[in-house]
Parts: sequence; C-alpha cells; structure tokens
Amino acid sequence: MKKQRPATNAVASSSSTSASGLGKKRSRKQQVAEESEEDDELSGVVGSGKQVDNEQVDEIDLEEDEEDDEFEIDTGSSNGDLDDFVVADEDEDDVEDDGDLADSESEEDSQAGLDLDDEEGYNSSDIDALDSEAEEDEDGVLTPATSLGSSSDLDKLIKKHTSKPSESEWGTDKFSSAKEGSGRLRKSRFVEGSWVREYEEFEAGYGSESSTEENTNTIGNIPIEWYDDLPHIGYSVDGKRIMRPAKGDELDKFLATVEDPDSWTTAEDKLLQKQVQLSDKELDIIRRLERAENPDAGFDNYQSTIEWFTGKGNEMVMPLTNRPEPKSRFVPSKWEHKKVMKIVKAIREGRIIPNRPPVEKPKVYAIWSKEDQERTPHAMYMPAPQLPPPKTVESYNPPEEYLFDEQEKAEWEAQEKEDRKLDFEPKKYASLRTVPGYEGFVQERFERCLDLYLAPRTKKVKMNIDPESLVPKLPSPKELRPFPTTSAVQYRHPASSRVRCVSVDPRGEWVASGSEDGVVRVWDLGNGREVWKWPLKMGAVQSVEWCPNRDESVLAATVSGRVYLLSPLALVSPTVAQTTLTHLNTAFASSSASTAQNEPRKAPDAKWVRPTEDERDRGILVIVEVAGTPKHITWHRKGDYFSTVAVDAANKSVLVHQVSKHQTQSPFKRTKGSVQRVAFHPTKPHFFVATQRYVRLYDLVGQQLLKTLMSGLKWISSMDIHPGGDNLIIGSYDKKLCWFDLDLSSKPYKTLRYHTKALRSVIYHRTYPLFASASDDGTIQIFHGTVYSDLMQNPLIVPLKVLRGHNIKDGLGVLDVKWHPTKPWLVSSGADGEVRMWT
Amino acid sequence: MAKIKKRGESGAAKNYITRTQALKKLQISLSDFRRLCILKGIYPREPTNKKKANKGSSAPASFYYSKDIMYLLHEPLLNTFRQHKTFAKKLARALGRGEWALAKGLEDRKPDARLDHLIKERYPTFKAATMELNDPLSLLSLFERLPKDPVPGRTQVPVEVTAECARLVNEWKVWAIRTHALRKVFLSIKGIYYECEVPSGESGSTVPVRWLEPYEFTQHVPSDVDFRILLTFLDLYRTLTSFVLYKLYTDENLVYPPPMDVQLDQRGEGVGKFKLVEREADEDRDGEQPKTADGKRITKKDVKRGIKSVQRAGDAVDEDEDEEMVDATEEAVEEEFVHHPGKNEDGADAASGPLPTYTSLLVSSSNSENTTPAFQIFSPYTFYLSRETSSRTWEFIIRAFGGKVVTHLEPTTDATQSNSLAGPEGDKITHVIIDRPMGKSKMRELQGQRKWAWVQPQWVADCANRREILPSGQGSGYEPGGALPPHLSPWDGEGEVYRPWLEQDKPEASQVEAAAEGDDVEMADDDEEEEEEDEDEDEETVKPETKTTITPALLAASRDPTNETLIHQAELEAESLGISHDAFKKSLDKLVKEHKETPQGSAAEKAKKVAVADEDMRKIMMTGKKQRLYTKMTYSNNEKKAEQDKLEQKRQAIEKRKKKEAKSKLAQAAAAA
Repeated sequence: MKKQRPATNAVASSSSTSASGLGKKRSRKQQVAEESEEDDELSGVVGSGKQVDNEQVDEIDLEEDEEDDEFEIDTGSSNGDLDDFVVADEDEDDVEDDGDLADSESEEDSQAGLDLDDEEGYNSSDIDALDSEAEEDEDGVLTPATSLGSSSDLDKLIKKHTSKPSESEWGTDKFSSAKEGSGRLRKSRFVEGSWVREYEEFEAGYGSESSTEENTNTIGNIPIEWYDDLPHIGYSVDGKRIMRPAKGDELDKFLATVEDPDSWTTAEDKLLQKQVQLSDKELDIIRRLERAENPDAGFDNYQSTIEWFTGKGNEMVMPLTNRPEPKSRFVPSKWEHKKVMKIVKAIREGRIIPNRPPVEKPKVYAIWSKEDQERTPHAMYMPAPQLPPPKTVESYNPPEEYLFDEQEKAEWEAQEKEDRKLDFEPKKYASLRTVPGYEGFVQERFERCLDLYLAPRTKKVKMNIDPESLVPKLPSPKELRPFPTTSAVQYRHPASSRVRCVSVDPRGEWVASGSEDGVVRVWDLGNGREVWKWPLKMGAVQSVEWCPNRDESVLAATVSGRVYLLSPLALVSPTVAQTTLTHLNTAFASSSASTAQNEPRKAPDAKWVRPTEDERDRGILVIVEVAGTPKHITWHRKGDYFSTVAVDAANKSVLVHQVSKHQTQSPFKRTKGSVQRVAFHPTKPHFFVATQRYVRLYDLVGQQLLKTLMSGLKWISSMDIHPGGDNLIIGSYDKKLCWFDLDLSSKPYKTLRYHTKALRSVIYHRTYPLFASASDDGTIQIFHGTVYSDLMQNPLIVPLKVLRGHNIKDGLGVLDVKWHPTKPWLVSSGADGEVRMWT
Repeated sequence: MAKIKKRGESGAAKNYITRTQALKKLQISLSDFRRLCILKGIYPREPTNKKKANKGSSAPASFYYSKDIMYLLHEPLLNTFRQHKTFAKKLARALGRGEWALAKGLEDRKPDARLDHLIKERYPTFKAATMELNDPLSLLSLFERLPKDPVPGRTQVPVEVTAECARLVNEWKVWAIRTHALRKVFLSIKGIYYECEVPSGESGSTVPVRWLEPYEFTQHVPSDVDFRILLTFLDLYRTLTSFVLYKLYTDENLVYPPPMDVQLDQRGEGVGKFKLVEREADEDRDGEQPKTADGKRITKKDVKRGIKSVQRAGDAVDEDEDEEMVDATEEAVEEEFVHHPGKNEDGADAASGPLPTYTSLLVSSSNSENTTPAFQIFSPYTFYLSRETSSRTWEFIIRAFGGKVVTHLEPTTDATQSNSLAGPEGDKITHVIIDRPMGKSKMRELQGQRKWAWVQPQWVADCANRREILPSGQGSGYEPGGALPPHLSPWDGEGEVYRPWLEQDKPEASQVEAAAEGDDVEMADDDEEEEEEDEDEDEETVKPETKTTITPALLAASRDPTNETLIHQAELEAESLGISHDAFKKSLDKLVKEHKETPQGSAAEKAKKVAVADEDMRKIMMTGKKQRLYTKMTYSNNEKKAEQDKLEQKRQAIEKRKKKEAKSKLAQAAAAA
C-alpha cells in the first residue's frame, strides 16, 4: 500500500501538495545523482564519499524544508507553527519520500526501456565485485593508507560509477554498508588491544524495513501506559530514547481547541503521545470512509471495460463449430401443429367459442328435492333459538295497564340496559300515524347477528312439568290416625325454669319432670296436678326416667355427680311399694358386710349410698355417686339395669348400673369420641353408643363391636331405638334427623331436614307406629313410621303433624319429648318452663 | 389392566378447540374466520367444564367444536378467500402501475364466492330452510330501508344490495299475496310484525315464518354497528331467501324471478310491480315465451305497453282471445289496477296498462289450499287507501287477505261534486282506510251517495288477526279520529295468558256478528259482581252503627239460632241497652247470615290451610335435588303469576278510575241540565 501510493499519486495529476512537491523532488534527485557523481570523482575516496553524499542529501533536505515552508505559506499554512520535532519528522519523511521516488523513477526508467542497464546493474559479476571490494576494504582496514592511495582502485571505482548510474546501486550500497566496513576503527575500552568498529549514525533509507513505517517509536503494540512513569515514551529505530513531548495541561488543551481553528482536524498519535494534524489527504480519506466510498480518491469505480475480443477490429472471424444447423430449427413442430389443429377443429365445429364469457351457473335453481334427508340428530348440533314472538306490551296501542307508571318507569330507567326485562319503554299512541320510527332497530338486528355467530351455545334441559309432580305421593295423615294433634294438659312449673327432662310412668298415670331449679316433680297425667316433688338441691336435674318395670315404681334422676333412685311410695299401692323397696334395698344389706373387704381393693366406678332416714321417708331410696355430670339416663327393658352418660367424665362417661346388686361398671376402658347417648337393644343383649358422629353397636355378651353406623351428621344430639330393634332414629344439632335401617346399610335410609333449629330429642312410640322429634325452633314434628316385617319393604315414613305451643326462650325451644306408654299421647317439656301433653 | 388414559387426548379436551387454535389451524385472519363462521353457521360452544376443554387452563377463551373446524379445512370458500386475496393484490398492483387493460381483465375474471352449496349444507331440507327464515326476512326488510352510507366514513352498503333486498322482500310478499299465506299482523312500536304460513312440503304441514318490518322512516344507525358483519349475514340471507323463493314460486308453477315492471318500479311501487308468469309445462328456458294466466283479459294495446315496459315479457298472446274479451277488459282494469297519485294524467294513463297482477292470477290458483275463505276475509271488499296510510303495508295485508285496493281516485270531472271521490272505482269501494281525524260532513261529502265504511288502519290488522270482520261503525273506536280499542299481540296469550277482560274491552256495539253469547254472560257476571261490591260498600257504611250494639249474648244466639233461651237472653240484653226489636232482629239475622257464611268460609280456609300444611309435610320427604328444583320452579311460576296479578290490579284500578270519571261527568251533565 505504501509503495503504491506515491506511484498512483504520480500518475494522477491531482492538486495535492505532496504530489506537486514530489515533482520538484524528482528533478532535484537527478541533480543529486549528478552531484554525487561529481563528488565521487572529486574525492575519489570510497568511505568518505558516502559521507559526503549524505551531507549533500541533508543539505537538499534543508532546502526542501524551506521549499515546503514556502509552499505551506502559499496554501495557507496548515501547520504554521511547527516545532522542532515536526521538522525532524518531516526530514525523515522526506528521506523516505526520496527512497520512494527512487523506486518510482526506476519503474519509470524500466518503462522507458532502460531494462538492459538495470540488468547490468544487478548481474552477479557486480555482486562479486562488491564482495571483492568488501574484502579489499577489510584488507584496507589493515592498511588504510595504501588502499586509499592506489590509483587502480580509484579508476575501478570511477569506471563502476560512471557505467552504472542507477539508483539500485544506492540500495545495494546501503545494504552492504555494514560489510563495507565503513565505520571507524577505534580501540576497545573493554578489551585491551582490540579494535572496535564504530559506525556512523544509521540512516534508514530505501530497502530498510523501518523506512516503510512512519512511526519512529519502536516499542510496538504495547500499552503506552507502561511508559507513564518514564521521561521517554519509547525508542527510535536506532535505539535512542524518544523523550516525552511537552504536553500542556487541560487548560492548554482547551485553549488549543478554542483558539486553533484547525484543532478539530487533529488526532492523537498514541505512540508519539501528541496531537497530529491530519493532512488534507488523510481528511479526505476519512470523509470517503464515512461516505462508504473507496478511500482512494483516484479509484475509478466505473472504469470502461477493456474490449479484448469485441469492438471494431477485434471481431472473431471464424465460427466456433463447423456443425451445420439442424433441420428442426427450420421445421415447425408436428405435435404442436396437431394440438393447434385440434383446437382449430373445435373452434370450427363450435365446441370452443373464443372470448366467450364464462358460463355462469344460474343464480337460483331447485336446490331442494323430495329426496332430501333430514339432518341426523347429533348431540353437538344446536340450532340457534328463535326470537320469541312479540307480546302485547310491544303494541303501539296496548291496553293501558301495560304502560309504565312513574315508579316503574323510574325503575326501568335506573336499571342497566342489560338487566332490563323490556328493551323498550311501552308507549301508547292515539293513531298509527303518530308512531315514530324505532331508534333501536338496527342495533337490535345487529345484536341478534352477533348472538348468532358469537354467543356460545349450550344445551339446557327445560323442565316442563308441574312442580307438584315432584312432591312424593304419601298416604294422607287422616288415614294414619291416631296421632297427637292438640295440647291437652299443661303442667305448669312455678318458677317457670327450664324443664330439661320429662318421663311418663310405665303405667301411664304420672308424669315426672326435672327442672333447672333442681326439683323433680311428679304430676298427675290426666289433670296436670302436682302430686309429688323432690327438691334435690344439687343443681339442675339433667334427666329423669321411670323404670320400665310395671311392678315397681322407680324414678331415676340425675344431677351433677349423683344419680337418685326415687319412688313416690305414698302414691303407689302397697304391693308395688314393697317390691320397689326390696328391689332397691336388698343390696345394702349384703354390701354393708362386704364393703370393708372391697373398698381397699379398687376404687369403684360409683358409690352407692344409702340416704338418711329423713330422705328415705321422702322417697329418696338410693343415691349413686358418680364422676362427672350424668346428662342422660336410660333403663334396660327389664328394669334392673340402667346406664348413665356423663360427657365430662372421661373414660367413665358411660356407666352401667345394676340396681339389685348396687353395682356399677364401666363397660369401656376408653371411648372413641365423646359419647352423647347410649341405648339398650330392646330384645338382644346389645348396646348402642352414639358419639358425635357415629353410632356403634356393641355386643355386651361377646364384648365386641358389631356395627358402626355412619350418620353423616356433625353432632348427634339424641337417639332412639325402634321397639322392633332393627331401626333407629338420630336427631342432630345440625337440624337433621336420620333413620337407620340396621339390616339395610350402615348409612342412613333417610335423612330429613325440616326443623329450622337443632333437634333436642327424638323418640319412638312403644306400641304405635309413631315417632316424634323436638327442636329448638319450638315445634314438635310427629311422624308415622311403619316398619314392615317384610324385609324387602322399606319403612314408610309419613310426616303427620307439627305441634306448636312451646315458646322459644333464650334460643331454646322444646327440650324433651316422651310418648305415653300405651296411648298415642305425647308429653313434652320446654325451655319456657312448661310441660305439655298432646293428644 | 385397562389402558391408561392420557390427559388431553379424549373428551372435552379433544372435542373443543379455542378460537386462537382454530385460526392457527386454518391459517386465516380473524376477519376471514368470522366470515366463514357466519356463512357456515359455526358458533362457539359452552363446554360443561371449561377447564377440561382448555387443557387445564382457566383463561377465558371461546371454544369451537373441533370437528366444525376440521370440516372448515375442506371448505371451498376458504379457497375462494385465498383466490380473492391474490386477486386483490394483482389488481392493486395493476392499478398502481397504471396497467388499465390488465386491471380490466383481472376485474372480469374476479373470483366469485358462491354460497349455494352452503344453503344446501346448512338447510338440508326445505323445511329446515323455512324454519330459519325469520332472521333473514327481518334483516332484508331492514336493508331495504337503509341508505348507501349508513355510518358516514365506514363500510358502505352498495345500492345493488339494497335494491336486491327490496326485490326479495317484495317477491316474498307477492308470493304471500298469491297464496294468501299471511296469518297475523301486529303493529308494534318497533315496526310491523307479519306471520306467514309456509308449506314445508311434507304432506301439507306448514311452518310459521314471522318477520319484522320497520316503519317507513330513515333508520337511526348507531356508529358502533359493524356493517361488515351485517353484510356478511346479508349475503347468506339473500342467497337463502332467493332459493326459498325459487322453490315457493316453482311450487306454485310460477316463473322465478318474476318479471318486474320497470316503470312501476320507478314509481316506487312495492308489490304491484311484479308480473307473475306461469311456467310452461315443457319449458326448457325460464322466462321465454311466458303465457300469462289471465292472458285472455289482455288487449293488444296492453300487450304493447307490456312489451315496452317489461323487456323480458313475451309477446305471444292469442289475439283471438283478446278480441273475445275486450268487454271484460274495462272491468279488469277497475278491479286490478292500482292508480298512483302524483303523476300527470296522460302519462299515468299511458303507463297504466292493466298488467296481469297477482289478483288476476288468483283465479287460476283458487284451488290452492290457502285460499280457503277463512283467510280471505276481505274478499268481498274493496279498500281505498288514504294518502297518509302506508300502501306498502296495507296493500300487502289487504290483498293477502283477499281484498282489493284502490290507492288513488281521479277526481270527477263533474263540477258540482268537485270534492267527492268518484268515478267508476268509487262505486266499488266499500272501505276507506284513513289515519286522520275527519268530520262527518266531510266524509259524507266525499262519499256522496255511496256507502263507505271509514276505518282506521288498525281495524284491518285486528280483523286479520281475528279472522272476522269487526264492526267498524260509530262507537267501535275504529272510525276516523276515534279512540282505538287496544291493539293486542296475536301471539300473546297463546295458551299463556288468558285475559277475558280484553274481550270485554272490545266494542260493546258488536251487535252484528262478533259478540258471542258467552261474552254476554261473562259481562253479566261482571255486572253482578260489581253490584255486589257496591252492596259490600254499603254494608261497610252501615256496620259501624250495628257493631256497637252487638252483645255477647247476641253473638252466642247467632251461633246457635235454634236455641230459644239464648235468643231470649240476647233480646233481654238488647232491651236493656235500649235497642228496638226491629233493629235487634236485623242485627241478629245479619249475624246469623254471617255466621252461616263464615263457617263455610272458615272450613274452606281450614281445608286450605290443612292442604297447605299437608303439602309442606310431604315436601319434607323430597330429596334435596328435587327440593331445589321444586323451589326454583315454584319461584318462577310465582314470578309469572305476580306479573299477571300486577297487570290485573293495574287494569282494575284504571277501570275504577275511568268509571268514576264517567260518573262524575254524568253527574255534572245532569247538574248542568
């Protein structure tokens, strides 16, 4: 690139400064060559001749500089204030330029036909001669005086130089200067008696590698920061330090940018650590690169092609091949002809009519015929529903009642458009003439269209049945009489405290009730008079239950921590009283002897205590002290065993007591869940235990779990077993009643939900097919519940009657219900402090 | 072991495809997809489980039945769309380059999207097509009325489209007139509803087709209506309607499309401009050499006029026949020709060739099923349509029900009777349809010696809906300027709402035919009830006096009127209170009567209560599912009933108010007298 540039510059007659300068240089060079010849002739010394030559060159350079300066002044002085370094630099440049010039000159010479001379200059004999000269020089070192003085050598030299005035000699001259031994010999300072050759300052000329590079700093491509701490910035070609150029501070720099109008055309030379003014040429190159052009201004993008083989005078006279043209080139295709003739024939016959408009299918034709098949029904085929026919309200003259009154109109206007039942406001016009155009017509059609293609469709089954057909067919309650319908007798409690429990005497004569004031009362069933009472004064009476044995008259009542066995002895016949007393008291006699032995052995589950004389006179026959508060009491059908449930008594929550032996046992060591209710099976030795959610059936004899009934309820409140023993009902606090058929499944046969509040009590009648449920909503629901002996037939449940009469107090309604043992009568107790009999 | 089912390979996940997926599958734009959906009748579905259908994602999406989309892949329309796309590109290119010849050639070879295959595909039978005619006819009726630029700056409606819509609607009406298929008419505030019965082709069964036609006003077009969608629908509907009409016309042995009288069309004639031409038995090309059904009535002159006006009309009419029937021509002109106002007389005369119209063809199609007299209630009458009534509507209705229409009468040349409508047509007229108040003297003046019935347009609609001629005289409300009786929807109350009072509202002056005996009886009952009410009111006014005198003994006596001692006791008590014997007797009787009534009433109430309670009880035994259904159904039934009750209450209140007003007016009049 470097070599070519001056050459092209020389060719191009551009007005660049260097090019014009070069032209001058060239002429000068020739002068130099002549002068050097003269010098050589004059001096006649080989070694010094070189020196002279160099000096001459320097002189010329100086002149050139002057010229340059002049020139620069002419052009407006792009680098007006050049410092020394720049001058030195330019010197070097010039030297190089000289070298280049020589090169270009030699090229020109060669073109001008001086090839032969060149060849002469480079022939081997010359080199040999040079070698010999060098040898002679070495010899000459040894004997400098003699060698210099010999005229033959001089002649030789003269001859050589005159015969070969070529520049190539320069190169070889410089190239071989080391071998020439042009340096001075001087005594070595280190080794005594030896000589050291000292050379002149090396001047890079043509042929030297460094001469092709502008840069004189030789450190190479290393970070310049490494020299930051040093006074110099690198080394020149001949190993001299290049000192750091003086650099102004930032202010100077800034001033330079402000003051110097050309500062924007400078670039920093990193190696030399200074701002270099870019020449016009370089700027031009930059501009061209910016414009994505060829950086060389002289490059012609659109050179005219060189016509080697075409154009006038260059025609090819001879053909490429000698083969004759084939016949097919001159004969039309047979097959094409056949095809064309076919078409022609068709046109002639009228089968093809050219330029005929395309045959149009008729716009309408018979598209449907008798053979059309209906669409096969498919689940995914959902035709769009038709719009409903208009109603009278849409009439232009509807009956007056269809028009909106003020309130309706306000409502209609307040509603969102989508929520309105009518999408228009009904109007009445006196005559058809006065009816205006309907504003929403286009909108409605558009919305219909949108619905047709955008609305997702789905199939919906529309029940078109009478809702009454959903109600099950049941026998009328009238056919299922007798059942209680009205409140017949009320048993008023004085303090109107809650009556938690109620029980009817097995003979159906008395009603016992336990209220929260801690008094157990006995009432005459028929007339509602209080006949007996036991103020137990141990807190609320939780549960009362008559012993089902008709030969005795025992009433079990529970209060906190105690179970009382009571008997209204004065009311019953002497025989009954006698059996009662013997049944309850025989165990005291036997136990009094044995207690001493038993007691230390084990803490009993309950303590059977004989009441005081006074209490016994009042009818309190036995007191059983138990853990916790027994909430519920249930008798075995034979009347010897009874069971209590005390929720808060942990593992002793369920206790089974035997009256005749005054014994108490806890059948379960541990109970799963908190036991709510227990019940004896009416016929078998089975025991039902209802926890919060499940009912478990245990075999007392085999001592094993027989069945677990999953109620699906959240909290069981009450339970009763059908007298047949195969069915049971459960009431729950979550308002539901479940009927279980033990033969059917462990899941309820029916779950009914009809009370609005928690169920408190459910109970079967012992003889009639009736059952009842009492709830906190203050009602008692009477059901008919037939259990068939046929196992295939499900029990029949018919709701019969809702008994209302109890008042709701503090969110509590009816707390307990009991059936009369023989009659279809019901006794209920409520939170309002009333006990009622329903007949 | 059963094969393990993979997720998303069966069931809803496989059955449904979202719209985005469908677009990707079909490789079409959303607008093309929309057009396809509209034309092919593909609609989104509502899967029972959206999450399953959407492969577990619950993002909102519209689902299509995937088989629908699969079928779309083979749709020829899809190809036409693509062709059209390339055509549009080529055309734009040619136009852009100014290559007009090329553009012209391209335009000539424009790909044509035909929809006839879709018609057969979507409506496999003629019945299926007729069942879906409601929307098409309504939309066509709307577009008939739309301007070219409904929403300025948006999609335009080409004039040809509007014209075609008008043509189709009119052809449909002509067919309805010819076959007397119109059944119901309802003048609503939105427009006019018509219902036709279209024979579905299977053993005489018919399909009702109901459509809504807007009143003749410029339509208000909201700016958010996308006419591209409407026009796509219209494309389909036009095609469908034309195919249906072809079938209907050919079934009637008529040429379809019926030739149109250009001149009449220019005059803005609706149904009258079409000429019904019978098909020839061995006709191989439609419309060639048609022979009119009543060709015998056509004179030579008329034929010439016909040729002039109707280019396609044939010219082959036997001249012999013409000569024979020249006498009849005059009559025919009178009967059929519809005179049009606002023309200079000569021109009108020249153009008023008695073209064979539907009425003339009626004779030939009299054996058709629909022409039973039940649907031709107006057949003995001729109607004159006053200027302010829409001839488009009323001409159609009257003709469809067998009547004849005269819309314009030439004023007589007789100077003495300059105001009256006269001429030979005037004598034929039986009814004048007028929609503006008019004095009696004016009416008399206009009708001269003739007896015309002057009615408001609603009379025609009401007669048509009830299939009988309603009284139109004074007091019926139908007279010009009269207070019209309410106009009811003929579809309302079809087994839904029974409203006997509406019969009552009908004019009481229905001595002629209308008032059935049953109605009279009902009315009588009502009267009685009213009287009773009045009595009740009287009682109420009396009661406060008697109430003070009621003693416990009296009450007891009334409970048991046979018990002498009780009565005696009561008498004594009354005496002590100083009440006269008569008054006592009266009060006793009343109480006894009351008591007699009340036990019954109370018993009935009790029974009702018991029944209600029973019902409640039985509901306990229902399963939860049934209970929910039951409550839902009863709720909706109750809503309906409440609405009806509300209407009834409002009606009664209005009646009472009116009665009072009338009474007060009477009283005022009496006072004034």
